[in-house]
Amino acid sequence: MIALNINQKLYEVDLKGHETLLEVLRHYLGLTGTKTACEEAECGACAVIIDGKAVLSCIILASNCEGKKITTIEGLADGDELHPIQKSFLDAGAVQCGFCIPGMIMSSKALLDKNSEPSREEMEYALDGNICRCGGYLKIFEAVRQAGKVLKVQGRSSKHEDAR
Amino acid sequence: MKTPVNKEYVNPVGKSVPRIDGRGKVTGQTKYAFDLSFPNMLIGKMLRSPHPHARIISMDTSKAEKLPGVRAVITAQDTYNIKFGSNEYFFPHTVDQMAIESEKVRYVGDELGAVAAVDEETALEALKLIDVQYEILPAVFETQEAMKPGAPQIHEALNNIAVILPVNFGNPDRALKEADYIREDRFYAPAAHHAAMETHVGVGQWEMFSDKITLWSSSQAPFKCREALAKTLKMDLNSVRVIKMPVGGGFGGKLEMLPMDFAACLLSKKAGGLPVKICYNREEEFLASRRKHGMIYKLRSGVKKDGTLVAITGEVIADGGAYCSYGPTVMAAAIMRIFMVYKIQHFRITGYRVYTNTPISGAMRGFGGVQAGFAIESHMDMLAEGIGMDPVEFRLKNITTPNMVTVNQMKLTTNGLRECIEKAVEASGWKNKRGKQQNLCRGIGIGIAADVMGSKMYKSHESAGSIVKVEEDGSVYLFTGAADTGQGSDTALSQIAAHELGVSFSRIKCKSGDTEITPFDTGSFASRVTFISGNATLCAARDAKRQILEIVAQERNLAPDALDIVAEQVVRKAEGSVLMNFDKALELCYSFNYGRQIIGRGSYNPKTTPIDFRTGEGNVSGSYGFEAQIAEVEVNKETGDVKLLKMWDAHDIGKAINPQSVEGQIEGSLTMGIGYTFLENLHFDNKGRPANGNFTAYRLPRTVGAPPVETILVETDDPDGPFGAKGMGEASLLPTSAAIANAIYDAIGVRLKELPFTPDKIIRALKEKEQLLTAKAGL
Repeated sequence: MIALNINQKLYEVDLKGHETLLEVLRHYLGLTGTKTACEEAECGACAVIIDGKAVLSCIILASNCEGKKITTIEGLADGDELHPIQKSFLDAGAVQCGFCIPGMIMSSKALLDKNSEPSREEMEYALDGNICRCGGYLKIFEAVRQAGKVLKVQGRSSKHEDAR
Repeated sequence: MKTPVNKEYVNPVGKSVPRIDGRGKVTGQTKYAFDLSFPNMLIGKMLRSPHPHARIISMDTSKAEKLPGVRAVITAQDTYNIKFGSNEYFFPHTVDQMAIESEKVRYVGDELGAVAAVDEETALEALKLIDVQYEILPAVFETQEAMKPGAPQIHEALNNIAVILPVNFGNPDRALKEADYIREDRFYAPAAHHAAMETHVGVGQWEMFSDKITLWSSSQAPFKCREALAKTLKMDLNSVRVIKMPVGGGFGGKLEMLPMDFAACLLSKKAGGLPVKICYNREEEFLASRRKHGMIYKLRSGVKKDGTLVAITGEVIADGGAYCSYGPTVMAAAIMRIFMVYKIQHFRITGYRVYTNTPISGAMRGFGGVQAGFAIESHMDMLAEGIGMDPVEFRLKNITTPNMVTVNQMKLTTNGLRECIEKAVEASGWKNKRGKQQNLCRGIGIGIAADVMGSKMYKSHESAGSIVKVEEDGSVYLFTGAADTGQGSDTALSQIAAHELGVSFSRIKCKSGDTEITPFDTGSFASRVTFISGNATLCAARDAKRQILEIVAQERNLAPDALDIVAEQVVRKAEGSVLMNFDKALELCYSFNYGRQIIGRGSYNPKTTPIDFRTGEGNVSGSYGFEAQIAEVEVNKETGDVKLLKMWDAHDIGKAINPQSVEGQIEGSLTMGIGYTFLENLHFDNKGRPANGNFTAYRLPRTVGAPPVETILVETDDPDGPFGAKGMGEASLLPTSAAIANAIYDAIGVRLKELPFTPDKIIRALKEKEQLLTAKAGL
């Protein structure tokens, strides 16, 4: 039995063996917002944030996540109110099939939490592990830019990201 | 409670309203088939052939059946051995695949059984316990080998050629005699994969005793999936329900029923009605879904000195893999797309669709047009060069025009191709760049294309139906059979419904692609949904509106025809004066006196004629879309790396229902084209298996290096389109490879005829050019 801190809630999980965090999220806890498209750390669809860093949940063992602060896509919105990154992805038209989007948003959040005004190059490198097959990446860059502006105004970049 | 109305979203056509399914997607709440789970759900796995070509001698499943946790095992003995295929209407003899093969397997991965168990590990363990005895047959993996007499016979077809398709018009041999310049080129465009982010998923459930099945699916054509399931399971259409869940990308790969869909349903029956989920992993997706045809495309064409294209001849050899799928029509489209783009009277291209013991080729975004686009648009540049003409001028001289009938009887109505070329040329600064930047190793190149809005490739009609139901509280439900696979059709169709009904987009809810609830629709392919399903939706909204106006007219003693609903108000058409708002009108409809349900219905079948494959004639689409694309590149001669500096894309889309969504389609499609140009090459090992069938080895475009793209929307207001709109989404990857090839030629003077353009090919081509120059200088 381990306890995982996910989206500021504690979940007790009975592990059978070497389950990945992805398996625990999706199959044990019903948190299916986190996706996978390859299960070999190539596509980024399973990205979550652990202690402030974007991490691929398909290659990290759940047992290694005890005591850490895990944030998934389900933990971003505040009630009905979307997180600024979620809103900007909608507004910029960055979403098509949406399957890559949870991972894309989590990788974007990890970037913007530290740097609300990333350059194009910084965005490219921060999101290079996330594949989007539908839309190309231009509208995603635009969404990240827009969200960064909002987060900066709200003072939610770099220092103030304890709220969520 | 009255439905809250967002006034920003009245008259939504032409506005970039946010996606109707967007909030679910950005919050992780959207449930894809991939995410489904039901109580007591079993996990199914397919039993696949390890041999590329073999006869099945015997199968023993007894050990697997006895394994604890196994709930069902199926083999061909549990099936009716009915074949299915996708070109049944045009090429009935190409219906050649069985859901579970009974006698022979034809590629590594071919399905010969399936198991369902309480978990994945048990299902995989059970597969290992099935004993299959094979007689191994010789196999063949290359089209040119497969076509040789004496090659291993994969199906009945002579020399493994499933279909020979000669397309002839005029007298090309005589015409070529009048040409001032003739050239011959051979191009190769390899196999590729859709690589949709969500793999194929099906959850089947058999209702015991009522004999009804439900499949929750990642299908992009649920009604077509229903038809194939009903056929192979010997059931009537209405006993099969296919529910399309939100789809994580399709791109043509999810157009057909796969054996896994069939197996999920049949395993459920054998397991006493427990739901069975089969979810492909990435390797299975590469191995046993569908792939793009690799094509050899040979062209021999002639032009006059003034640039007139006099004749095109050639040959196409399409690698079909083990079964036909959509292959014959993909090949036909690869040949016949040219008629939409260039005015040509003398033409002869013969296509050969060839079986090999490799994964099955089928439909993929562009439907043959990507391979053809690369060959033809590269060839056109070379023809222009041969007579010393600018490639843009050459194209402008030979392109199709509005309101013309092509040599094969396609009726082009609106045609913005000239405008697309001119606008892309102007925006890109073509005139100051073409041929003028070699000192910087920079170059600019163009490619053009056209696309259909529907294709009549599935069956004789291509109708779509819609229902618009207006509830008492003012909410509006749109039911459409169309499948949103991420392209945004639920949103665009809802915009059309709202606009025509005269209400805010915020009132609309959309239910799409459930074969038991929504009207019939052939599915999401051939860029058809905005045009065909959009027209059906327009009709349904108009019908609902008429029903409301009849009641208002009756109440006020007016003629219904004198009234309209515009921007949430019922108005008199002539004066524009407001009679009442929409909510009041609905109160009237649902009042004690009237009590009338508002249910509008619409059906649309485009005014088209299918291709007659004996003559090559037919008007497959109710409208045609056009496209010009320009690429600017910088080549590093030392490393062979090509940097895409910028791309321009001008697209005749009739009318943009949602401009942001249209841009997203263009950018995404073009990005897929860039991937095919530089990275993607699905190739096969010595057993015909994908040698790079996973995301580590199969490289896809990523963020790094994504070029800036300038999209230019050309609105030609099509008279047959809903609000003037045409379909779109595929055309933008047809010219990409050639535009880039042409730009590379402009930059460094080497011509690449085989995709993908890897650095080593560029270095090699540069060396060859050098050697040629040295040899010439030596002489």
